[in-house]
Amino acid sequence: MLSRRSFLSHASAGAAGLYAATFVRSRFREQLAFAAEMGIAPEEAINLANNENSLGPGEAVMDAVDAVIGPEGVIAGRYPFRFTGPMREAIAEKWGVKPQNVLIGAGSTQILVDCTHQYASREKALVGSLPTYEECFGYADLMGYRTKAVPLTDDFKMDLDQTLHACKGSGMLFYCNPNNPVATLVDPAQGKDFLMRTLDVEKNLRILVDEAYIDYVTTPSHETMIPTAIENPRLIVARTFSKAYGMAGLRVGYAIAHEDTIAELDEFHLGNSVSTPALVAANAALERDKADPDYLLNEKKRNAEARDFIIKFFADRGLSATDAQTNFIFVDVGMPIEEFQAACAAEGVRVGRPFPPLWTRCRISIGTMDEMQRAATRIATVLDSAQKMAA
Amino acid sequence: MKTTRRSFLNLAPAGGGSPASLHAISARGREAWEAENGFRGGPVFIPPPEADEIRISSNENPLGPGPAAVAALRDAYGSIMRYPMNAQISGTDLRGRIGEMYGGKAGNVVLSAGSGEILRTAVRVYTGPDRPLVTAECSYESPVRAARYFGASVKALPLTGGLELDLDKMAGAAIGAGLVFLCNPNNPTGTVHSLADVTDFVRFVKKESPYTAILLDEAYYDYASHPGFDTGAGLAMEHRDVFVARTFSKAFGMAGLRIGYGFGQADTIAKLAPLQLTFGTSVLSIAAAMGSLEDPGYLKEEIRRNEAARKLTHDFFSSHGLDPVPSNTNFIFVNIGRPAREFREACAERGIMVGRDFPPYENTHARISIGTLEEMQRATAVFAEVLGLATADNQQQ
Repeated sequence: MLSRRSFLSHASAGAAGLYAATFVRSRFREQLAFAAEMGIAPEEAINLANNENSLGPGEAVMDAVDAVIGPEGVIAGRYPFRFTGPMREAIAEKWGVKPQNVLIGAGSTQILVDCTHQYASREKALVGSLPTYEECFGYADLMGYRTKAVPLTDDFKMDLDQTLHACKGSGMLFYCNPNNPVATLVDPAQGKDFLMRTLDVEKNLRILVDEAYIDYVTTPSHETMIPTAIENPRLIVARTFSKAYGMAGLRVGYAIAHEDTIAELDEFHLGNSVSTPALVAANAALERDKADPDYLLNEKKRNAEARDFIIKFFADRGLSATDAQTNFIFVDVGMPIEEFQAACAAEGVRVGRPFPPLWTRCRISIGTMDEMQRAATRIATVLDSAQKMAA
Repeated sequence: MKTTRRSFLNLAPAGGGSPASLHAISARGREAWEAENGFRGGPVFIPPPEADEIRISSNENPLGPGPAAVAALRDAYGSIMRYPMNAQISGTDLRGRIGEMYGGKAGNVVLSAGSGEILRTAVRVYTGPDRPLVTAECSYESPVRAARYFGASVKALPLTGGLELDLDKMAGAAIGAGLVFLCNPNNPTGTVHSLADVTDFVRFVKKESPYTAILLDEAYYDYASHPGFDTGAGLAMEHRDVFVARTFSKAFGMAGLRIGYGFGQADTIAKLAPLQLTFGTSVLSIAAAMGSLEDPGYLKEEIRRNEAARKLTHDFFSSHGLDPVPSNTNFIFVNIGRPAREFREACAERGIMVGRDFPPYENTHARISIGTLEEMQRATAVFAEVLGLATADNQQQ
């Protein structure tokens, strides 16, 4: 088994090559229905693999979707454009920007690909941490773009000094904060300072700040980079409705940026990619944000409680997790991830995929408290039998 | 190769500035986009969708999906928080079901956000500066826009006098080309080629130019009534880099759900799939599509309904001596003897939205989508007025 230090040095040695070799884009990971595969009752299966919000988007959103679809579904026969404009306006209103600062995508993944396509190339590298969310690197790899992967610090945070160094002459920095899969947040003051300094030093660099998990951040001083994105054409913020908003299945997210940058991204952007129910749901969620500002705060609190519970469960067994600011944790399971994953699956708990080169760490998504308690019991069985085997 | 901003802007209508991508918006639905967001190149003359209008501009199914599809969609509400691979009805389930329809498997199918996405992906995969896109002028324009954006060359062959794709000329042009786009039935002309003709075409091209890919766009497949017409799915299974694109936006009534697919050999699909959006189709759309496939009766009814309304529209024009192209789709293309724009604007003032310009026929032909029978009765009355045709005849319709 690799110690933390040894895998970090391993990563440093051939980081970019390792990245390319280990990237498997999420679209290739489609799996068979988990419960059927495991031969367990669907209600017994607990999916903690994909950072979904088990509670879904909430009643107000579901009511809005069903009101538009209705028993007849007639509206589904029409192209979705009548809902696109209002959604852009609603997002613009939420952030106090213009609709021209907003680009809607089929999940934020579409935005991530748009940016990578537009700003990285065979000459101009894509920079990001190792590991980080794979979408940008997956696309870059597919297109043969240059990539530079920067190993994390010892506490699994982005290494800002090394990242700044890697940005020299590069095309785009993918800055996923909080970072998936490691769950950590860059120190708020340092992070903002780093971004401003990097924009200042690297005049041709674009920075994509992925804020997919920002609604789950419990570090009080952390702030969105949206105000900078509006001011500086070289910084883009990506947001999604897949996480705290509970709509991963609807495929809707957006970019906020300077209007010139949005226009530039829009050149490549596949339009008309978001469905009517998704646009209606997102609109309804934004309406609810206005009427009930506590909704998202309550979701953050609920998640933090379940997150604290599972982190403590592992800590009590001597297994340490990173400082999670997301709806998942990244924890040392003390055994090879593939074995742990398979053993959990046999117990009806699906946990995250391997994130090389961190071979003994597991990403576990946060479900409801009930799901986490039930999962903990089953994970305890897995860890106990692994210990027995080792003894 | 990346297209510079400048070269893209040359393709876009003058004006610019609007942040929606006209080039990427599937031309299926472009009128709807223009109506709702304002046309970036000129004045907005189309009233907002709230008005009491008849929208027969985007080849939409006015009734939407059938009851089984709607029920399946609503049954999938519980999966909204799950990514499509974790949903109760997953993308793989739907791909397997579609594959089965043609004697294939999930690996023979790639899902697409409408069929527009797969058309664009095909252009990216198969064309380039030295590997032209072969298409017709005019046919569905989306692949041409994509080719120009991505820097590929384009060979657009004129239609025959009967406004059909000129398969002979296209076959000649296909030798050495990257991709042939064969829209069958053809949008906007509504013409169709028999499976026998398409088979000859595909066999000829694959024999003379084995590396040329062929995309059979069958968006309007269900509406075709020509007896010799059938799907080219068998040809797609038979030949490498030949594939069929389908959409649920037309007869299946799901334009708002953004779902379609490509079907072909597993090797062909494996070339296309990586450039598709990651999870580009929603769990509700996947469920609705699955539900619709279990209800062939609804589809048959929709085809009958469209045929009746199409006949009324066709007969209206032919009874006035105008000469619509016999349609195998849910629209008709008719020589109105004046610019489409004049006709469109006059109709729009009266609450009837019809199709855009289709160069090189924009000074003579209009494309009119088929709405409900009642809508077409109202619409033809307006056409009679706008075109100065005797209204008494119209009353008899």
